[in-house]
Amino acid sequence: MRLYLLALALALLGSALAQREVRLDLKAFRVVSIDQGGRVVERLEPALEVRPGQLIEYQLSAQNTTDKPLRQVALVIPVPKEAVFQGAFPLEGARLEFSYDGGRTYGQPPLKRKVRMVEGGREVEKEVEVKPEEYTHARWTLPELGAQQTVFLRLRAVVR
Amino acid sequence: MRRIKLKGPLAILVALALIGIALAQPTPAGTSISNQASARYVDSAGQPRTTTSNQVVTVVQQVYSLTITPNGSSEALPGQTRSALPGATVYFAYTVSNTGNGTDTIALTTPQGTADNFNLTGVTVYRDDNCNGALDAGETAVSSLTLSHQGTPSSSACVVVAATIPAGTPAGQYANLNLVGTSSGGPSDSDNWARANVTAAAALTANKSASPSGPVTPGTTITYTIFGQNTGGSAASGVSVPGLSGSGILIRDIIPAGLEVNSLPTGSAGAGTVQIVYSADGTNWAPLTASNLPLVGNGSVAVGMFISGSGAFFPQGASYTFSFQARVPLSAPAGTAYTNAATVRFNDGTQQQVVTTNGTTNPVAASPNVAVGPYGYPTGGATGSYTAGSYTVGRSGDTQSITSAYSGSVVIFRHTLRNTGNAADSFTLSHSGAPSGWVCQFLADDLTTPLSGPVGPVSAGGDYSFALRCAIPAGYTATTAQTITVTATSQAGPTQSDSTTNLVQAVVSGYAVDLARLGSGGDGDPSNDNPPSASANPGTQVNFPIEVVNTGNNPDSFNLSATLPSGWSALFYPDANCDGVMDTPTPSPITNTGVINPGGANRRCYIAVVQIPGGTAPGANPISLRVDSATDTDPGTPGIQPASSDTVSTTVNVNLVVGLALDPDRSGTVTSPGTITYTHNLTNTGNANATVSIPAVTSAYGWTYELSTDGSTWSASLSGISVPAGGSVPLYVRVQVPGGQPIGRSETATLTANATYPSGTASDTATVTTTIVGGELNLTKSAVSYAGATTTVRHPSGAQAYPGDQIVYTVVASNIGTGSLTNVRVSDPLPAHTTFVSASATASGFGSGAQVLYSTNGTTWSTTPPTSLPTGGILYVGVDTDGNGTIDGGDVMPAGASITLSLRVQVQ
Repeated sequence: MRLYLLALALALLGSALAQREVRLDLKAFRVVSIDQGGRVVERLEPALEVRPGQLIEYQLSAQNTTDKPLRQVALVIPVPKEAVFQGAFPLEGARLEFSYDGGRTYGQPPLKRKVRMVEGGREVEKEVEVKPEEYTHARWTLPELGAQQTVFLRLRAVVR
Repeated sequence: MRRIKLKGPLAILVALALIGIALAQPTPAGTSISNQASARYVDSAGQPRTTTSNQVVTVVQQVYSLTITPNGSSEALPGQTRSALPGATVYFAYTVSNTGNGTDTIALTTPQGTADNFNLTGVTVYRDDNCNGALDAGETAVSSLTLSHQGTPSSSACVVVAATIPAGTPAGQYANLNLVGTSSGGPSDSDNWARANVTAAAALTANKSASPSGPVTPGTTITYTIFGQNTGGSAASGVSVPGLSGSGILIRDIIPAGLEVNSLPTGSAGAGTVQIVYSADGTNWAPLTASNLPLVGNGSVAVGMFISGSGAFFPQGASYTFSFQARVPLSAPAGTAYTNAATVRFNDGTQQQVVTTNGTTNPVAASPNVAVGPYGYPTGGATGSYTAGSYTVGRSGDTQSITSAYSGSVVIFRHTLRNTGNAADSFTLSHSGAPSGWVCQFLADDLTTPLSGPVGPVSAGGDYSFALRCAIPAGYTATTAQTITVTATSQAGPTQSDSTTNLVQAVVSGYAVDLARLGSGGDGDPSNDNPPSASANPGTQVNFPIEVVNTGNNPDSFNLSATLPSGWSALFYPDANCDGVMDTPTPSPITNTGVINPGGANRRCYIAVVQIPGGTAPGANPISLRVDSATDTDPGTPGIQPASSDTVSTTVNVNLVVGLALDPDRSGTVTSPGTITYTHNLTNTGNANATVSIPAVTSAYGWTYELSTDGSTWSASLSGISVPAGGSVPLYVRVQVPGGQPIGRSETATLTANATYPSGTASDTATVTTTIVGGELNLTKSAVSYAGATTTVRHPSGAQAYPGDQIVYTVVASNIGTGSLTNVRVSDPLPAHTTFVSASATASGFGSGAQVLYSTNGTTWSTTPPTSLPTGGILYVGVDTDGNGTIDGGDVMPAGASITLSLRVQVQ
């Protein structure tokens, strides 16, 4: 009986999720480097707790739950304000871009920011390169996400 | 489930100094780091959509870290040195800081050195509340300090370690002492060695205090006081200073970079002449006058006090005080630390000495503040306009407004907030005043990403733009301004907030529709909407090509309906190519248009097919066709136009249809003299009442033809017979044959019925064929109609029957002569428009052994009645008296005998 109820609950959950055309599941992991006989390997542990300076990897799985392809699928993982962007894994066939202005604009590195400064007594507008540490969002844009297809995205950030 | 393979390692790998990040401003322990991903895509219907992921939360744990300054890495390299007479107490000043991310208790211990000459006695740690490096009244001894996490005002504290040089210790000896701090979480700081020298020469102490001693806000004036005393065994002498005349004791303080000295310092000394001086480079000095002010700290500029005197002029016990004020600039960012220490130069009788005071540190406290305003104008004073979503948003001062919005639509107000505080800060956004039912949400400046929780951190002076998106319910309209206030509240200083105003001046219905005849929809001209009237016969259909244009602002679907005369019906068929002609194959009729996007280009065409019931009276029938928004339940707010439903009207003119049927043709036999009566039906197949007349029938043989509609009143002709539309009346024809007519004479008379309608006429004919028989065999035929298959009589003479009714025809053949008849066959045809049900026959007056036989072709005979009869078939009945199984000349019908045939049929 308990098993049956569980199955029912899962079925209900499934139907609730199925109403969304794209199912997004975000997970956070703590990246722990361990020395295995002189070889440093990384281990991912669920990041329920972290300390300043530790590395978090966010993993996003995005599934097209429909039977039709979806177009121009832009998937965004923000960098939490308590963390500093460290890196993002590219996805084959997807355009990977970054934002430094809270998701307002995206571009491919190096990102440039316009800054007004006084030079030689004149106010001039200059473009300065935005450091990756200032990135606030990463965006992967897929031309198409096929029916029932799932993609898997990863972003790393260091806890401030 | 297919997965796309990952390519390569991190493409954007940033070499970050991880420890640096951890120490810069560690995230406080207990902070929840939450994150939520989002997606934006175009679905299979071409509609842009967004969705968000679950939220993941990670909690920051505590890390422990501390520092104690000034450092002295070993006994040989003490960080601070004090000189005093034997028996005197020396004071070492330290600052203890918690550099972890949580509150920590740091235990303090004071181990004595081993690479020195003696141990100090009475070593006690005092909390130096005012951070002046001296032990003041009321300052208490401590063995540990509880300090809050880095970045908060109480994350560090000053302590003074008091230690006494035992009396009798010879001059020239020294003792070392360390201050060790140990965090409750483990780490410790133990490189803080200090040294006490025993001297008999002059020794000036130098202490410094800053008031206020702790965190300062921009604009604050800090009062620095440097004070000291000659605690040595001799009077102190002066030194020569470049730019100043004579010799003296110089108290020098390099102004902390950024601070501004606006007023002349003050000072006093127990001996000598006091002169306030300054130096631009820290080396060359000059008297300071008001005209030199202000002095802004740049790392070199120094103020000082020069106590001049000749020889050993500054006696034991003499003290000095020097005080100046410096102002924290308004632009000072939080976290800036104004650290300062002064030096005192003098001659102790044998050599020049430089004593450095304890350091003071005044961190600039966070002074949170925020301004929020229209997009691009965080502090108000806005002008101009911008477009967001479907609307133009006007800016004026600290207010943004949309002149008019549509119900069911979305309004977006963009905003910019500025961190007008001096430290990076995050801000909580809130809104109020949205009318009930409106759903408002904050979005990032991309107008897509929903914002949850506070926004930021925004650097001091930095701007952050966001948007408020409100969905107006479908049924909401308003003629007065709706005010939505957006407030940003500092997280660092929750009392600091700012608001800005958004107005939606009016909300009009976003749902409107135009229904019109094909080609006239959405032109704003209601006068050409009605389809032209149409004329049609009863029982036919009329097609009205129409089109529906969503003239509202929002995509919508519409219900289609019609108002028609009773009994009429209408169906709506999509007309995909809008040619006004029913598509092939005929599509399924619909009652709802499905979603139609706004605009004439998205018009949908339909053909309204109106079915006119048969028999509908001629004349004009007004009808109307209607579309009604399936979304907007507000049937029509007074004064709000346009409306979300539309009706067109037209007229269906039902033609006058004339039609008369006089049926059936009859035939019979009659003896001479004799009388036979035929029954006919006069049916009005038109759609209006008819007046029927039937002229007299003339016989070539002098027979008399009489007509009647009731079977009792007879006349040669009839007129003024009123037959209602669709109705029928019986017509009886009686033929009287006089005597003397030859057997076999036959006459066919044609009856003509003429119907007159309000407009037009119709006529029909029927024949009666009467044959004179020999006076032996008399045939009579009668009919009774029944309602359906029941026994309820519809009409006793069968004059009236409806489809599905059954009629029983009874034919009686009687030998009324005196002699026998042979080869008698009674036949009855199956009437047109009827279906055979059953047949039976009886015989009477025949001898025993006579057998009733049936046939459907007159040749083949059977003792059982047929079970079916084809259309136009004839049923034959005879009586077999010679037992040969067929009807022939050997079969005798005696005088007085009769055969009764009964045929039951059903009207088609």
